[in-house]
Amino acid sequence: MFSQPDRPAPPRWAERLLEWFVAPHLLDYVQGDLHETFHKQVVQLGIDRAQRNYVWAVLHCLTPFFAKRQAAGSTQAGPPQAGPRKAKRLSIDYNPNPALTDMLHNYLKIAFRNLLHQKSYSLINLFGLATGLAMALLIIQYVRFELSYENAYPLANRLVRLTTDYMNGGTVDAQDAEVYPPLAAKASQEMNEIANFTRVYPIRKPTATIQISDQYYLVDNVYAVDSSFFSMFNYPLLRGSRNGLFTRPRQAILTKAMALTYFKTLDVVGKTLKIPQRQGRVLLEIVGVIPDSPVNTHLKINMLLSYPTMLSDFGEQEDNWNTNNTYTYVQLADHVSDDGFAKSLAAFTDRLLREKKLNNERVIGQKIGDIHLYSHKTFETEPNGEAQSVYFLLGVAFLVLVSALVNYVNLTTAKSLDRAREIGVRKVVGSTQGQIRTQIVTETVLLNSLAGVLAVGLVAGLRSVFVQMAGLPEGFTVLGDVFFWESVGVFLFISIGLSGFYPAFVLSAFDPVTVLKGNFSRSIKGSWLRKSLVVFQFTITLILLVQLFAVYQQVGFLRNQNLGVTIDHTLVVKAPVGANARPDYGAFRQLLLQQARVKAVSFSGTVPGLGSTQLATTTGINLSDAVKKTYYNYYLTTIDTSFIDLMGIRLLAGKNFDATTRPGFSDTTNRQLIVNEETLRLWGIPRAGEAIGRRVNFWGHQATIRGVVKNYHYESPKAAYISIIHMYSPSFNSFASVKFTGGTAEQQLATLKQIYEARFPHSPFSYFFMDSEYDKQYKADDRFQQVFGALTLFAILISCLGLFGLATFTVSKRTKEIGIRKVIGASTTNLLVLLARDFVGTVLISILIGLPITYVVVNNWLSHYAVRIDLSWWLFATPAGLVLLLVLVSIGGKTIGTALMNPVNSLRSD
Amino acid sequence: MKKTVLGELEELVLLVVAASTEDVYGVPVMEQLHQLTGRNFTISAVHTTLYRLEEKGFLTSSVGGATTERGGRSKRLFSLTAEGGRVLRQIQQMRTRLWDAIPQGKLLLLGL
Repeated sequence: MFSQPDRPAPPRWAERLLEWFVAPHLLDYVQGDLHETFHKQVVQLGIDRAQRNYVWAVLHCLTPFFAKRQAAGSTQAGPPQAGPRKAKRLSIDYNPNPALTDMLHNYLKIAFRNLLHQKSYSLINLFGLATGLAMALLIIQYVRFELSYENAYPLANRLVRLTTDYMNGGTVDAQDAEVYPPLAAKASQEMNEIANFTRVYPIRKPTATIQISDQYYLVDNVYAVDSSFFSMFNYPLLRGSRNGLFTRPRQAILTKAMALTYFKTLDVVGKTLKIPQRQGRVLLEIVGVIPDSPVNTHLKINMLLSYPTMLSDFGEQEDNWNTNNTYTYVQLADHVSDDGFAKSLAAFTDRLLREKKLNNERVIGQKIGDIHLYSHKTFETEPNGEAQSVYFLLGVAFLVLVSALVNYVNLTTAKSLDRAREIGVRKVVGSTQGQIRTQIVTETVLLNSLAGVLAVGLVAGLRSVFVQMAGLPEGFTVLGDVFFWESVGVFLFISIGLSGFYPAFVLSAFDPVTVLKGNFSRSIKGSWLRKSLVVFQFTITLILLVQLFAVYQQVGFLRNQNLGVTIDHTLVVKAPVGANARPDYGAFRQLLLQQARVKAVSFSGTVPGLGSTQLATTTGINLSDAVKKTYYNYYLTTIDTSFIDLMGIRLLAGKNFDATTRPGFSDTTNRQLIVNEETLRLWGIPRAGEAIGRRVNFWGHQATIRGVVKNYHYESPKAAYISIIHMYSPSFNSFASVKFTGGTAEQQLATLKQIYEARFPHSPFSYFFMDSEYDKQYKADDRFQQVFGALTLFAILISCLGLFGLATFTVSKRTKEIGIRKVIGASTTNLLVLLARDFVGTVLISILIGLPITYVVVNNWLSHYAVRIDLSWWLFATPAGLVLLLVLVSIGGKTIGTALMNPVNSLRSD
Repeated sequence: MKKTVLGELEELVLLVVAASTEDVYGVPVMEQLHQLTGRNFTISAVHTTLYRLEEKGFLTSSVGGATTERGGRSKRLFSLTAEGGRVLRQIQQMRTRLWDAIPQGKLLLLGL
């Protein structure tokens, strides 16, 4: 064959496959044609498409027609004689080592026959293995995605985020993902472990408003960063130049998606956009375009501003140790160990404490790779995942797979009795033990391969459902992923290993003399193993089922919690942006209140349901007469006079704000506060009534407690109550909550939208329903519940199938015995008890083993929730009863059928 | 022998071979088929059909020249046998009879 290194060639492996597969007398022509087409396509379609088409064509050739080998006697390599070949068959075996392939062929043939012969067993095994495999494959893809966070950054394991722990004495009171703006520069000056740093300042949580010509848009994930950001996070510039980038104020960089959305082109360098401010607006020049953020990063970006813009236009100061709203990432120098850095950081914190830069706070470093699964601080850039549930699901998936393997081993060894005679005969006629083993392993390989194909089909079919269920990004590919096929291979290998070898050894070890003499009996050892495997399987099933029950109960319980606020019929709309928006808030409120269906309107700094991250936090508050200073974390928000009524919050003592109250921050001498019960607890005031009129030291100023409200859940009831301090503000700066008396959601929305757009024509209308915002807090739980529920169902199904197979087999072995018992006079009930006793006993043992384990597992899981269900007996009894019921159902049909059978039929054959 | 039935693809391939004035082997047949029908056939389908037609005695084949494009591999050139020609003629006649059997104006009434 010619070798032409300069010319494009089809993929080597495909050629090999073809050469190996296609009958030699056809190979030349087929391959020639394929090559010819390939070279034509290289010119027409390019090398990639041509190669793909080549592979496709080769795969099409994998048919029996092309594999038919030529007669060994006739000319092998050359082309056959020309002329009509009417009656000539092509299917005489040709191969270099007939003995070997003949044997293989024979093994496969027998294996196929065995599988076909025992259709129901094969189907049970096939179905079990395929679903087990499919589940394991899907989950492993999911787990892999969750673990892949930040992998797109080459420097990921050198990048550390600096965060703040608020200490109250020796204990951590709260953890904040953000730090003070000057920290990064100072740390990098004082610690030579730091090679580089970038500050990342989020603009206007939760979303920034941008203005392009006279249109306003809401954009989230807008950050002001240092120029070092691009190299640390490996963002190349698609447009623009790195020279002097982000050293001056008012520079902006868009992501590709943003540029295409708002400008319909990537060539946006030199164009401008604005960010409206309280006074005027900031004019930004676009200096570059970066690629979109990877889907698996905690720091997703839409737009970046140069950090100096922060200092000039957004009120940040280079040396501000009072507000910490800045994410800070540092790049460790080479050869710096994690431990070394942690020690150095601790020393640095101590210096800061001595210099009074920090007060009862500690700077903590965390690897960015740990953020997604392990970090649950306040003010994270996005809600993070949970390592525990990810690994839990992985474990469950493997248990499902193991359960399927257990079925296989159980059924195969149980059936060994049937095959004992076959194997005895084989041995007598001269089979070696090795050959018999090979035969049995071949069967396993065959079945597993079929299961593998089926599993891949299942994965392809379930992909989109799964992606939605598990909350994966939409374009998540499974089948196009090399790792997927690797895991298919590994799983098949493991499953062949686990399911093939034990039966092979058991079956091949039969003593032919005993077997053929006919006094071969069931081995005690085998049945013990089988029983323990069934126990194992059902213990798993039970644990999963109880856990699933607990999950459903807990999530349902959380949903039914009294939130302390009434969230129905309440729409929330964001404050308007744009030139003349501010004076209109009073008129806006009046207009809304004139509507027939509107009951109340309230302006507030944030609203419950958005989560505590939307609240401001502070530690510097104490009762004026407090003996000992504490450093608890308090959450601050502003409300107006109608907030408490509208939200249905109960006022326990004191008064609501009224029109005479002076707005929160303007009054430095007599600030009025309404606090919740949790705040009172931190201050050590036992009764609400005693708090009224007490003085509070608030950032160096005096404030008076005016009222106390009952605790309410600011975020999902999953979290404990937080201490909330309300101050008065009548203006429409952040959110307006509108409570309707009735009407459909569409009507409510239409009313609000119409008035909002009439009042604030330039501003984007951004709204949400309060109850749906609370619902979002359950999303992670819902997903976990769904994925876990599906897995559990499959585990149960597979276990029951296995039991069904075993029961069918056992009963069929005892048909004759049952006939005799019936003739002698056993009642149907007697027989049923006799047949079911074994299985029920086995399953009862697994219930006994499973329940204590379950108790520990469930207890452990529930301990993560602040509000949780009580563990009652029925939470365990119901699943146990259900398992028992399932067992009876799966063994029932066959058993009852056999017990009712006319003994004449079962006894006649002898 | 019972009457030979040709599949649609077999018939198409046989017609392509019959119509061709030059050397016929896998690739040109595939390309012709694509041009004439607008459908994509894989080379394996074309080969299978060619060989099947040969087995049935409608085609005969010989080994043809190799080109560099083919990596030095030879072609199997096919040509129509008399038997093949007869079958084609039979098919045509059968079709014509069926066409003639369509009542006059029926297709016209269907707006065709």
